[in-house]
Amino acid sequence: MSAPNCLRCLVRPSAGIPVSAPRTVSPLVTPFVLARTAPFSTTAANARPKKEAQGKSDGGGSSRGGKKLQLGKFKKEKVADRGRTPLPGERKAYRKRITLSNDNAIPVPWLTDLGPADLADPRSSGKVMALPEEVQDQLRASEAFKATQCWGMFRKPAVLVRKETTDLVNRMEDAVDKKETLRLVVTGDKVTGKSMMLLQAMTHAYLNNWIVIHVPEAQELTTACTDYAPIPNTDPVQYMQNVYVLKLIQAIKRANEKVLAKTYTMTAHPELPQNMPANSSLLALANVAKEAEGAWAVFQALWTELTAQGANRPPILLTLDGLAHVMKVSDYRAPSFDLIHSHDLALVRLFSDVLAGGGAKFPSGGAVLAATSRSNAPRAASMELALAQREAEQSNKEKEKTDVEVPKKDPFFRGYDDRVEAVLRSVQVLRLKGIDKLEARALMEYWAASGMLRAMVDEKTVTEKWTLAGSGVLGEMERAALLTMRV
Amino acid sequence: MPPRLNIWSACSALSTRARAFARLPQPGPAALARGLADNTTSRLPESTPGALPPSMLPESEPAVYSSSENETAINQLRMIEYGLSSLDPTVEGHKYGMPELPLPSQKHAKHRYDSVITQVTRLLMRDGKLAKAQRDMAIILNYLRTSPPPKLDPARPLLPGAPPASHLPLDPVLYLALAIDSVAPLVKMRGFKGLAGGGKSLDVPMPLRARQRRRTAFGWILDVVNKKKSKGSGRTMFPHRVAEEIVAVVEGRSGVWDKRTQVHKSGTGNRANLNHMAIKGMV
Repeated sequence: MSAPNCLRCLVRPSAGIPVSAPRTVSPLVTPFVLARTAPFSTTAANARPKKEAQGKSDGGGSSRGGKKLQLGKFKKEKVADRGRTPLPGERKAYRKRITLSNDNAIPVPWLTDLGPADLADPRSSGKVMALPEEVQDQLRASEAFKATQCWGMFRKPAVLVRKETTDLVNRMEDAVDKKETLRLVVTGDKVTGKSMMLLQAMTHAYLNNWIVIHVPEAQELTTACTDYAPIPNTDPVQYMQNVYVLKLIQAIKRANEKVLAKTYTMTAHPELPQNMPANSSLLALANVAKEAEGAWAVFQALWTELTAQGANRPPILLTLDGLAHVMKVSDYRAPSFDLIHSHDLALVRLFSDVLAGGGAKFPSGGAVLAATSRSNAPRAASMELALAQREAEQSNKEKEKTDVEVPKKDPFFRGYDDRVEAVLRSVQVLRLKGIDKLEARALMEYWAASGMLRAMVDEKTVTEKWTLAGSGVLGEMERAALLTMRV
Repeated sequence: MPPRLNIWSACSALSTRARAFARLPQPGPAALARGLADNTTSRLPESTPGALPPSMLPESEPAVYSSSENETAINQLRMIEYGLSSLDPTVEGHKYGMPELPLPSQKHAKHRYDSVITQVTRLLMRDGKLAKAQRDMAIILNYLRTSPPPKLDPARPLLPGAPPASHLPLDPVLYLALAIDSVAPLVKMRGFKGLAGGGKSLDVPMPLRARQRRRTAFGWILDVVNKKKSKGSGRTMFPHRVAEEIVAVVEGRSGVWDKRTQVHKSGTGNRANLNHMAIKGMV
C-alpha cells in the first residue's frame, strides 16, 4: 500500500498532478497544473530557467529562504587572481626555447673555432671545437639545435668531433668531388648523437658554402598538424603543405642568405605571383614566397633552379630528422577518406626520391642525410628491416665475406611497405655507438674546464662515467656527469 | 579513425615479428648438465667407455711453457713455498690503485649526495616517486648553474661566511644549501595546552636542530612554489618554479623571509614563558 503522503517532503500530492511528466511535452500543450512543482519529478526542476536568467539575487548554491546564521560579519570573498592567462603557443614557445650560452661558465682558453676543413680532417677527431658565430645563426635559423641538448650550459656552443664525424664528412666530400649524391641514413641507439651528427654535417656544409635544406622534425609533415591540399593535375594525386613549405622557405632563406644571393636563376618563372626574369638571384626568388598561398609553387621553382643541370650551383645538403615518420602511412586523409601514404605528400616525396637515388640530381653533387629517432618514432617495420639489411650487406662487403646473415622478411607479417623498401634499397647506413675513452676524456676535460664538471678528470673518472653511460653513449654520459644531483 | 584502432591492424598485430628469431648458440655439455641435479641419468655426451681425456694418458707429456710470465708465476710459487708473500699488492700494483681508507662518505651508496640535497629531494618527492624527485633536483641545480649570479639584498643578509654572489652559480649545491639555511628559522613555537590560564595555550619557543630547521624552511618555499604559476609547460616547470623561488630567497625578494621574521618575533615575545612554573622542569 502506498503512503498517501510523500515521505520526503510531507507535501500532499494533489490528485490533479501527474507523477511524472514527459520532458518532451511542448510548452503549448503543457497542462496548467504542471506549472507548479511536482515533488516526484525532476522534470519541473530541470525545466526551471537557468541561473543567469534568474539574476544574481538568487545567490549561491542553496536557495533556501528564511534566516541564515552568518558567522563572521565581514566575510571576504575569495577571488582567485590567476593573473594573465598565457596566449596560445606561449607556453610551448617557453618550453622549446633554445639557449646557446651560459655566462656563468668559464670560457675555455684552448677552444678553437671550427674551420672549413676541420671536420674532414682525421687529426681533429677526438677534439672539442666551437661553432663559429655565423654558423650558430645559420644552424639556429634552420632549427638544428634541440631543446633537449645541453647547449645552455657552456659559454659557447661546441661539438665533439668523433671518428664517425670525420668519416661522414669525408664521404660527403668524396661525393661532391665526383659530383654525386651521398645517400645515407644515420641510425643508432637512444641518445647516441644521431641528431648531433646531422648538426655536424650541416656545420660542415655551412662552413663550405653549401646550400642546406633541413627538416628538423619529420613528424610535423605527417601527423596531420599542418594544412594540406591536393596539387592539381597530378596522377596519382600528390598533396602540398603550403604553410609548412612557407616556413621551410623562410628558414632556407635565412640560413643560406649569402650563397643564395650569389646564385642566379637559369630560366624565367612566369608562373609565380611575381614575375621572375632569368638571371635574378635565388634569394629574390625565395623572397617571392610571402604567403602560404603560392608557397609550394615558389618552392618548386627554387628546387628546379637548385637542381638545374649544367648550371654552376653550390653543393646541396638535404637533411631530415626522425625518418620513421616519413616512412609510414601518414595521418592525412584523402577526400575518399583513405589514409594518404607519406610519399604522396609532395615535400616528402621530393626527399624520398632523392634518398632513393632517383629524382633530381644535384648538379655539383651533395648529400642527402636522414637520421632515425629512438624516442619519438612510430613502428616502421620496413624501414627497420631495410636498414638492418643494408647494414649487414655493408659489413659483408667491407670484410669481403658473407659471415653476417642478411635479415629476411618475416613471411607471416603483413605490415611491410613496398614503397619504403624501394626508397631504402641502396642507401648507406651509418650506425652510431658509444664514443671511445679518448673521445670521452676530451669531452670531460672540456666540461671540467667550463666549470660544469667539478671533478678531477683522470683515467678513473673517465672510465667511471664511460662505464655508467653504457660504454660511452653520449647522452648517457651527459646524464651521468652533468645532469646529476652530485655536481 | 587512427589506424591503430582498425580491426585489421589488430589482426596483423597478432603476427608482428620484424625479423627472424635469433638462433641460440649450441648448448654445450655443461649447459645441458646444469639444472639436472635431480636427474639421476647423466645427459653428458656419449663417449666410449674407459676412454680417458688425452691429458690423463700416461704417454702425454706436460706441455713446456717458457715465457717470462710463466717464469714470474713459478718464482711466485717458490716464494710461497718458502713462506714469503709474493702477491704483495704493493709489489704487484693495482690497475686503479687501492681505495683511500677510511672511505669518504660520498663513496657510501646511501650518502652519495650532499646531506641537504638528500633531505630536500625527499621533501620534493610526491607519491613516493624518488627517481622523479631526483631528476627534478638535478633540473633545479642546472637552473641555478645557468641563471645569472644573484644580486644580494643587504637588508636580507645571508649566512655569515657566505661566498660572494658571483661564486654561487658554479657551485649550485652550495647555492641551494645557502638559500635554505639562510631562511631557516631558529625556533618553533610549542603550545602547552591550558597553561596560560583560561584554557589558553602557553606558547614556548623551542630551539630546532639543523635538519628540522631546513625542513621548515623548505616547507615554506614549497608552499610558495605550489601557489605560483608556471610560465611554460612540460616536466621542467615544477623544478623551474622551485629554482626561481630559491633565487628569490637569495636575492631577498621572497615572502619566506617574512615568515621567518614572524616566527622569530613571536619567539622573542614569548621567551619569558620559558620561566613559567609549569614549564621549568619540562623544557
